[in-house]
Amino acid sequence: MTAEAPPAVATGNSQESASPASGVRAWMSRHPLAAYAVRRFGLYLVELWGALTIAFFFFRLMPGDPIQTLIQSLQQNYIYNQQASAEIIARYRAEFGLDGNLLSQYLVYMKKLILHGDLGPSLISYPTPAQDVILRSLPWTIGLLGIAAVLSWIFGLALGAVAGWRRGKLGSRIMTNLSIALSHVPFFFVALILVYIFAYSLGWLPARSAYDSNINPGFSLAFIGSLLKYGLLPGLSIVLIGTFGWILSTRMLMVPVLGEDYLVYAEAKGLKPWRILTRYALRNCYLPQVTAFGISLGFIFNGNVLVEQLFNYPGLGTTLVTAIQQLDFNTILGVTDIAIFSVLTAVLLLDLLLPLLDPRVKYWK
Amino acid sequence: MSESVKESAKHKGTASDSGSVLEIKGLDVTYSTSRGDVQAVRGLDLAVRRGEILGIAGESGSGKSTLAVALLRLLKPPGKVTAGSVMFRPAGRSPVDLLKVNGEELRVLRWSALSYLPQGSMSSLNPVMRVQDQFKDVILEHAPARKDSLGELIPRLLSQVGLEPRVARMYPHELSGGMKQRVLMAIAVALEPDLVIADEPTTAMDVTIQRVILQSLADLRTDFGVTLMVISHDMGVHAQLADRVAVMYEGRLVEVGDVRQVFKDPQDPYTRQLIESIPQVGRRTS
Repeated sequence: MTAEAPPAVATGNSQESASPASGVRAWMSRHPLAAYAVRRFGLYLVELWGALTIAFFFFRLMPGDPIQTLIQSLQQNYIYNQQASAEIIARYRAEFGLDGNLLSQYLVYMKKLILHGDLGPSLISYPTPAQDVILRSLPWTIGLLGIAAVLSWIFGLALGAVAGWRRGKLGSRIMTNLSIALSHVPFFFVALILVYIFAYSLGWLPARSAYDSNINPGFSLAFIGSLLKYGLLPGLSIVLIGTFGWILSTRMLMVPVLGEDYLVYAEAKGLKPWRILTRYALRNCYLPQVTAFGISLGFIFNGNVLVEQLFNYPGLGTTLVTAIQQLDFNTILGVTDIAIFSVLTAVLLLDLLLPLLDPRVKYWK
Repeated sequence: MSESVKESAKHKGTASDSGSVLEIKGLDVTYSTSRGDVQAVRGLDLAVRRGEILGIAGESGSGKSTLAVALLRLLKPPGKVTAGSVMFRPAGRSPVDLLKVNGEELRVLRWSALSYLPQGSMSSLNPVMRVQDQFKDVILEHAPARKDSLGELIPRLLSQVGLEPRVARMYPHELSGGMKQRVLMAIAVALEPDLVIADEPTTAMDVTIQRVILQSLADLRTDFGVTLMVISHDMGVHAQLADRVAVMYEGRLVEVGDVRQVFKDPQDPYTRQLIESIPQVGRRTS
């Protein structure tokens, strides 16, 4: 019942123009939304810097000498049997950004990353830079896991809303209990069952790789069809389990809203049930789900390594596992950096978006 | 409409059923709990005449709100209507038993014929919709032909209850309690319904706002000719607003009659106690 003052309308207030000295402050009070966006963006930069710095130092703590690993693999590949000279080792150290003390390594790394988007050379496929290795697998991951995440969010929100709306009814009860039982089953377990049924027993769908190697990659109908066919099983295993999780949380948010006075009022108004469900019930409870979705995007980059491994999908997860096995620290750090960047950016965008989705959300005064 | 207002004013206190909008007969409402059934409304007979303001009085737990919710068909389990009929006679439509209509038939009847004015202190307005959109959805649902006149209709309705047109663009959290109550009043009469059921329209408001709200309600009757059923525990509200008053006690109707008659010469001892409970300046209670 707090009677809030209506939002201040931007008017040429005489008080403000009287103090031209504090120009920034006057501007901020006249453009609260823009001022908020600027502040939020500043915070984003600080967060980004902090997280990247922590990641950098954390990975420098890894035991093992990557240069020795590289030299060994080079020796094996080129049947290069001489002992590596100190000079060669020093050159490689410089190239990988491992020369000098930790602080200067850090400064060089950050400078390269920020100015050139350069993550340094990758060990697995030296001399290809790590960012190229990552960019090669990134579209696969975004294509598979990103689409799967979006789909499971949409399905989960829709089904969860209906489950909450029809609470107490048999169908809703079955769906809710099914969700409780299945939402915490690991992806790979479902994936294994799906593979067993559809790939092994029935032989309908392929269980490995991302597309048919007999088809040339490109914008052809055959290739896209092959992409869908190969992506179906890994995608399905993620969507299936992810959806159950979203159903459960959406239902949980929905049920208290259904007891609100404005729902009774909407019913008394004689609105169509579908309209009440979407405009009155869902509209008032889906906001936390939007935030949760932004955070869940982060798990795309580390949570589904197993699914990609299982299906031998050439995505970021597979790249990450190979990189860890080979002590390819530039690639490992690069994948981490990308995960940091995407989560923070997603949360930033959502924070800026929320006031548009819900008028009660106000970060500024 | 105005003619029927006059007519009902003329027939105040008489027991003619011909001009009634709503006829309740033998209504029983029961709440089933694990510790047995509770009868909230017992064998209630009551008629609401076209154009009148009928007050329903009674203490907390007397069943008056249950009655309102049952008439509006908003009763939720464990509440259940166990007996009775409620004949509703909207103008230009065939009479229906409100307790028998369901689904689409009931939905179409809502608001255009039977509307509801909830307590303003409750969060009856959708917090994420602008006031104008909460007018729009109900008007377009039941009277899509008025789509083009909305821009003129909403400010007119708002001014009818003493609100500025700019309120239309505001969100509920930007309104005070009194403003919210007035918005609800404007929405309630937006489609000129045959009957408005107001549940505690002035509760949880300070006295000055109460007075303004009561005045606006009285004005709405003069302007729109709506029939109003006002539920309130506050006898003062009935004294100021109602034409007739019905007194409920423990689910039963103990007295019904012309408001002046009831106040001057209460027949039931409970009614007498209720009237005596009105606080007066300069009089000590007990």
